[in-house]
Amino acid sequence: MRKRIGFLVLLLTLGLVLAACNSDGEETTGTGGDGDASGEITVWVHPYTGDAEAEKEMWDGIIARYNEEFPEVKVNIETIPWSNRDQKILTALAANNGPDVFYAIPDQMPQYADEGMLLELDPYLEDYDMDDFVDSALVSTTWKDKMYGLPILQEAYTFFYNADVIEAIGEDPENLPTTWEEFQAWAEKAKEKDFYALSYAGGGSMNGTLYPWIWQAGGDVITQDDEVLINSPESVEAFEFINNMYEKGYIPEDSITAMEHDALFQGGEMLAVLGSGISLTNLQAIEDFNFVIAPPLQNEEQVTYGTTGMFVVPSNSDNPDAAAEFVKVVTNADSQREFNTVTQYIPTRESAKDIFDSQEYLSQLATYTEFALPGVIHPIGRNIMPLIQAEVQTMMEGKKSPEEAADAAAELIEAELAKY
Amino acid sequence: MITLENIKENNSFASKDQLPRKKNANKRKLPFKQRIKREWDRNAIVYIFLIPALIHFLIFQIIPFAYSFVLTFLDWKIIGDSEFVGLKNWIQFFNDDLAWKAIWNTVLFSIYYILPTMALGLILALIINLKVKFTGFFKGIFFLPVVTSFVVIAGIWGWLFGGTKSGLINYLIGLIGIDTQLFLSDSSQALIVLAGLSIFKVAGSTMIYYFAGLQSIPRELYEAARIDGASPVKIFWRITFPLLKPIHFYVLIVTTIGSFQIFDSAYLLTGGGPNHSTTTIVYYLYQQGFAGLNLSYAAVLSYALFFIILIISLIQRKYLGKEDNIY
Repeated sequence: MRKRIGFLVLLLTLGLVLAACNSDGEETTGTGGDGDASGEITVWVHPYTGDAEAEKEMWDGIIARYNEEFPEVKVNIETIPWSNRDQKILTALAANNGPDVFYAIPDQMPQYADEGMLLELDPYLEDYDMDDFVDSALVSTTWKDKMYGLPILQEAYTFFYNADVIEAIGEDPENLPTTWEEFQAWAEKAKEKDFYALSYAGGGSMNGTLYPWIWQAGGDVITQDDEVLINSPESVEAFEFINNMYEKGYIPEDSITAMEHDALFQGGEMLAVLGSGISLTNLQAIEDFNFVIAPPLQNEEQVTYGTTGMFVVPSNSDNPDAAAEFVKVVTNADSQREFNTVTQYIPTRESAKDIFDSQEYLSQLATYTEFALPGVIHPIGRNIMPLIQAEVQTMMEGKKSPEEAADAAAELIEAELAKY
Repeated sequence: MITLENIKENNSFASKDQLPRKKNANKRKLPFKQRIKREWDRNAIVYIFLIPALIHFLIFQIIPFAYSFVLTFLDWKIIGDSEFVGLKNWIQFFNDDLAWKAIWNTVLFSIYYILPTMALGLILALIINLKVKFTGFFKGIFFLPVVTSFVVIAGIWGWLFGGTKSGLINYLIGLIGIDTQLFLSDSSQALIVLAGLSIFKVAGSTMIYYFAGLQSIPRELYEAARIDGASPVKIFWRITFPLLKPIHFYVLIVTTIGSFQIFDSAYLLTGGGPNHSTTTIVYYLYQQGFAGLNLSYAAVLSYALFFIILIISLIQRKYLGKEDNIY
């Protein structure tokens, strides 16, 4: 027995020695990168379209543009699959082995920034033209008045109506609802004719369900100063609106946990669907499907949800200067034109939106990004979403009134705040 | 898998060692170096082959396992210095209603899942064991869900159990006059539907285990029973069922562990809802760790899961595993 233990110890030591050798080898790359940009940077991007070749060409173009200014820097683009991207980035950053620039989404940014994982970009932006950016795009790159990233793409969610259904309920596709009341009147008519009025993906992100209604009502979920507003009278109005839509059958019965209602909409059983650029691509692929796009609804305010994609620099980058400069180049007007032409997202710079001049629907969607909020920008944004979702689901199941659900959600948010 | 074999290998060599050691009891106090040398001379090849596997095991299993235990006492920052917080994360776990609800959901899920999976697997195995025509074809059909991607199966399941009147199951039960059911949108049905999905997905592999077990039952026993005039039902309950005990045990352990690790179906179909009714422990762990960045708390949850599985496996071993030797 002792013999075997002795050998086990030997093996353990051997393993540790090997591991130690390994980490020693990597220690040497830690220096470099102050002053003039030189050296090497690694950029993590994602497959934004199905066409890898076009994307490669696009990145080559952007790197060439960057190298015109910084010929000394070698840029490695690594395309990381979307699935489990958070785990991949977290593990790589934790191992000090991560990228120097990576693509981030709005609810990631404040969370990472608050943990001190992101490099503040303000020092690099002193004489940089920021006015060209759409205001709403900078909401998601700013945390506590500091800039942690620059946006490259935006989306705007709005209602896509089935024009045939509009005619079936005796309304005019040229004259779409702009307020809650007008929409409700249409929904009632649709219901009478046995159509669903609207999609509601209650099992998905709250950005596609409750949040836009709260913002339109003039409420909010939580402010950056930790003020919980989800049970304010305005926000409760949104809870009531959704509850009413479900009770009256304007949204499908399975809305409590549904992930999407595209099949119902495309099958002609639904008046409108909340969608963005992807919905547009899908609808355009269907033959003889007549649809019209409406501007975001307005109750107190005209707002909607729309994600923002940005590039950020982790605080443990080996080459922060070159990385920050790359973020500036990749989000300048020319790069945005190139990027968004390939990916068909909406540029975050007004000047770059001209790429859609000849495309009727995309240029229409592009005008709505100014109304598009990127979600709840708060480090606990992701933690509270499942909690709020559960309360909305309880309300829809009829077990809580809208007000009770909103109050319970507020309590849960306070509890999360206390933890963080 | 490698690791389990290694342990077995180790054990078998250890027991061989014991014989010469007893014989040479008076030589036991050899110096350490010599003992190493003797062991090396005797088993060098074994160690040489074991080293790569053990190093792999050490780096990818033991070290992360041990380190995640350390994590539970830290407020671990992904970048930067972590803070020692003592038992804070563990105390939070014991006060976290949602964590306990997730554990309870997982237990419920196992109840809905384990026995039906075993029963269905056994029934399918009995069917393909009948040796009627097209057995191979049916074996393939029954096994198909096992080799199909879970995402695809889940998609089909979600479509079957759509909660509107156009969902296929709703359409079918509508024909016999049952009202439209909400299925995944109903907090009292969602978990059962998810368990159904897992049963559908896993029963094929249980079938293979049972089929192998059925093949290994000696024919003589059946012949003797038939000569004694036993009915097929009696033969099943008196011979087939008890003689499958090792398979029952194995399948039980595997499905139990599987059921406690259930994650994908909730992630894909319900997002943990409605009202957390399908939030299982692993789903909650994932949310805490990778959506909420509370990796230390996620580590606590993973240890809670580890202890639950450990205790259940020990109980099952104590009450079921002892009588491995059936003949």
